[in-house]
Amino acid sequence: MLQDAAGAVSARAVAKVDEAAVIRAVQQGDQDAFEQLVRAYDQSVLRLAMNLLRSAEDARDVYQEAFLRVYRNIHTFRFDCSFHTWLYRIVTNICLDHLRKRKVRREEPSVVETADGPVDRMDSFEHEGAHADPERRMWNRQLGDRIAAALADLTARERMVFELRHYQGLRLRTIGDMLGTSEEAAKNCLFRATQKMRGVLGDLV
Amino acid sequence: MTCDAVTNAIPLYYYGELAPDVEEGVEEHLHACAGCRAELDRQKSLATALDQRQLEPPPDLLAECRHELVRAVYREHAPAVTHRHSDPWGLFREAFHSLWHPGIRFTRPAGAVALLALGFFAARFINFGQSGLSLAGTTPDAIVSSIRSVQPDSTGRVQIALDETHRRVISGRLDDQNIRRLLLAAAREPDNPGVRVESVELLKDHSASAEVRSALLEAVTHDANPGVRLKALEGLKSFAGDPAVRKTLAQVLLKDVNPGVRIQVIDLLIAHKDDATVSVLQTLVGKEDNSYVRMRCQNALRDMNASVGTF
Repeated sequence: MLQDAAGAVSARAVAKVDEAAVIRAVQQGDQDAFEQLVRAYDQSVLRLAMNLLRSAEDARDVYQEAFLRVYRNIHTFRFDCSFHTWLYRIVTNICLDHLRKRKVRREEPSVVETADGPVDRMDSFEHEGAHADPERRMWNRQLGDRIAAALADLTARERMVFELRHYQGLRLRTIGDMLGTSEEAAKNCLFRATQKMRGVLGDLV
Repeated sequence: MTCDAVTNAIPLYYYGELAPDVEEGVEEHLHACAGCRAELDRQKSLATALDQRQLEPPPDLLAECRHELVRAVYREHAPAVTHRHSDPWGLFREAFHSLWHPGIRFTRPAGAVALLALGFFAARFINFGQSGLSLAGTTPDAIVSSIRSVQPDSTGRVQIALDETHRRVISGRLDDQNIRRLLLAAAREPDNPGVRVESVELLKDHSASAEVRSALLEAVTHDANPGVRLKALEGLKSFAGDPAVRKTLAQVLLKDVNPGVRIQVIDLLIAHKDDATVSVLQTLVGKEDNSYVRMRCQNALRDMNASVGTF
């Protein structure tokens, strides 16, 4: 057991050393290394943007902007935090801008892109499709509707903290680092987000 | 702990974000309090409901994003690396440049699209009627058309202007003079870097011929596409000791805008060390703005026991 744990720690250490070498190569202009770095993280970046913004187009914009900023600014990366934290700082900043702009416009795309094509957000709980009974489908629709309303009611920062903790599984301390705030402030955001959602969802959960 | 305190702590308890001593207090309370356990169940139901809402990006989206990123990164360098194209072939050229640009492997889908297009574009590259070449071994092929304009007139008719190109396919061995002449012409084809890359790729193994070597030197010096220049450099490897080739390479090293090309030229020059190379490398160190190329240059000078600075 102890050996397994030691093995895992050692594997992580090796991965970190490798990543540091890749980052240094990128800093020296190696585009192969840049590709390697992008491929290591881009799926999770796209998933985060997609889930936060509920729009394939916006997620695509965030992806481009984030990795271009990485490309332009990698020379300023000084290894004083993990690359993951540095990258997510960039990604979350861009996503927060999108969410804030959307709040100002009071818009929320109702149709989102999924693997099965465009799906209305209100129908996103109907994956059980034809097999679900009408009562169940109605309930799912109501729940989806209420969750969308609950999420729309969160501030951009609450939404971000909730997304990073609930869906991405990051610790609040890391989230605080990424958002340039304290772990305590991130805790408060998560608490408020959960309370708001429970308030809006009421008797449905 | 009171029920109020536990209820407030439940979201953070659920996510495992409480301090150990507080967590222990919550667990003790939950063990004894059915009301608070019901609160925890509500928290779990909420989390389950939210889990169902997670979206996976559509499968093609990631590939599209990667492709667009490569193009965006390429555009970052475009003004310094190669000419900008505002004509309709610009995108094609860019895609092809990406295919041959060293190091960016996930550009291959774009390159593949460009290669598919190659069959069409290749039809444009020579006028057989004026070439006087023997057409033996050729096969007549389809007429390729492109619409230039569509103009309705007052009588209800439509005037459509289209360009037609008769495509012929010629096959032959590389030592066939006609094939060789066609390839040399194709290596200078101004509008199609794809054709130039393919032609130089084929010619580079025949650099023993003075005619071919001259075409390769011309490509290294003047071709606007770095992919073509890199291919031509490969062809000149075995002549890296030839004084005329070295003279051209030294000029290329000091004026080429593409760092990949400059690195390859450095490699060719230092394969045969001489005083002229030292002088060129010292000049380059003083003006080089790419840190990686500068480093390669400095290392080469150190290997030759030469001073890194210029005089």
